[in-house]
Amino acid sequence: MGVLPDDWTLPDVTPINKAWFTSGQLAVQVCARCGARQHPPEEVCHACGGFEFSTETFSPKGTVYSYTIAHYPVNRALAASVPYAVVLVSLDEAPDVRVIGNVTDVPVEEIHIGMPVQAVWDERTAEDGQVIRLVQWQPA
Amino acid sequence: MHGSAVVVGVGESTYYKRGGATESEFRLACIAIRNAVADAGLELSDVDGFTSYMDRNEPVRLSAALGVGELNFTAQTFGGGGNGAAAAVSIADAAISAGYAECIVVFRALAQGQFHRYGQAGRARRARGRSAYTSPYGMLSAAQICAMQTMRYMHEHGIGQDALAEVVLACFEHAQRNPRAIRYGTPLTREEYHASRWIAEPFHLYDCCPENDGAAAIVVTTPERARDLAKTPVAIVAAAHGLEHRDGVAAFNEPRFPTAHHRHVGEVLWQRAGVKPADIPVAQFYENFTGPVLMAIAEMGFCEPGELNDFVADGNIRWPDGRLPINTSGGNLGEAYIHGFGNVVEAVRQIRAESTCQVAGAELSLSVSGPGFAPGSAVLFGKL
Repeated sequence: MGVLPDDWTLPDVTPINKAWFTSGQLAVQVCARCGARQHPPEEVCHACGGFEFSTETFSPKGTVYSYTIAHYPVNRALAASVPYAVVLVSLDEAPDVRVIGNVTDVPVEEIHIGMPVQAVWDERTAEDGQVIRLVQWQPA
Repeated sequence: MHGSAVVVGVGESTYYKRGGATESEFRLACIAIRNAVADAGLELSDVDGFTSYMDRNEPVRLSAALGVGELNFTAQTFGGGGNGAAAAVSIADAAISAGYAECIVVFRALAQGQFHRYGQAGRARRARGRSAYTSPYGMLSAAQICAMQTMRYMHEHGIGQDALAEVVLACFEHAQRNPRAIRYGTPLTREEYHASRWIAEPFHLYDCCPENDGAAAIVVTTPERARDLAKTPVAIVAAAHGLEHRDGVAAFNEPRFPTAHHRHVGEVLWQRAGVKPADIPVAQFYENFTGPVLMAIAEMGFCEPGELNDFVADGNIRWPDGRLPINTSGGNLGEAYIHGFGNVVEAVRQIRAESTCQVAGAELSLSVSGPGFAPGSAVLFGKL
């Protein structure tokens, strides 16, 4: 489903980022002590220094905040994928949370700042059998 | 207003296109350091410290190779990229001022022909740390990262592609006067800029720093030691290196995104120096890519973001008639990409009246390092 090869790089899943990369939802890290949210998830709460976290799930709708169109393949394995778009999406329910992804189902020249997009999940099975769900975006 | 340390020597290796160097990166480092020490009228045995950033040529090896006698101080900055260039000067300034060393070489050597290319990325099965949020989506290079920042910045402030072009054209024009520059004898027109291929929108080929081989160095010492040396000493008037809370947070979630990370650096620098941007006759702005240069110009206080189109247009950033000539050696784009250390060397040359695009009577000379990656840094040189 992605715009890159099916066997392209996957994220390393850790206890801190597991919800984000495997839940198939926009599960944003929230501090259990002070309620501050932070994305990407971190080891320590930036607001209160807390170590305990939960997640808050937001609706899969967002707006393109910025983007780039990659024309030069910085790795040979991406030569057939260019040009591809990488977008930075501001979540409609949490505009301070910005999420990186690719945009599927649209020519790259139609991508623009302010474009409404909808999250979809690209389910991949890693080399160790772990199921990873990468958020991607399509026009809303 | 002056710091306690002074620059007494500058030097570099020959600059080459990537793969063009016949010497190894380590030998290039030794050549630049020897040249800087000779320029100062010092002996290599006088050197007792090294500072740098992201450099793999360790002082243990350099000292042995160069005949450095007693080594008293070594340090590198944290942080990725060329944002360490001015910071490395500030570390030398601090160490000299504190008396930890008397003669420190600040240097950077980078041979992308021998080692990995900055414009290429490896392929990992799993991406770790902050790259876990970017690499799976094919966001892998510094060009792509700065493109993401620049695209938003241009949108917010109405900045046109021609503003990016102006940075490139200034660098290439200045390089035509500098025989050390790789682009010496290879001018560029506005039409060629716009016609060049995209790397990562909004960056064309010429918006991106080249991959080069070379090394550059300066020698920092005390004003007392400088008194009987070969060249007129250049004062390190002030330096700054830092960020604001959550600047540089991963995956573009900084509260102030898009930023070059130079607002705080600018405020601190001008306060320490006791001068303001309008007092600065010449500046070197690290060009990893053109967009971050524009952002840094505004964040250092030279103009508002919405004024950038005009600030850089009509030759305003070109020597000799511009109100703020920038990158007067040709900079990273036109002279050579030595991770921005050439921009430090050139800033010193402006105070010594040795630039090939010399701003007449320049008493202050600014070098701003590594916009787009936190923490930022900047150093202001001046007459002693």
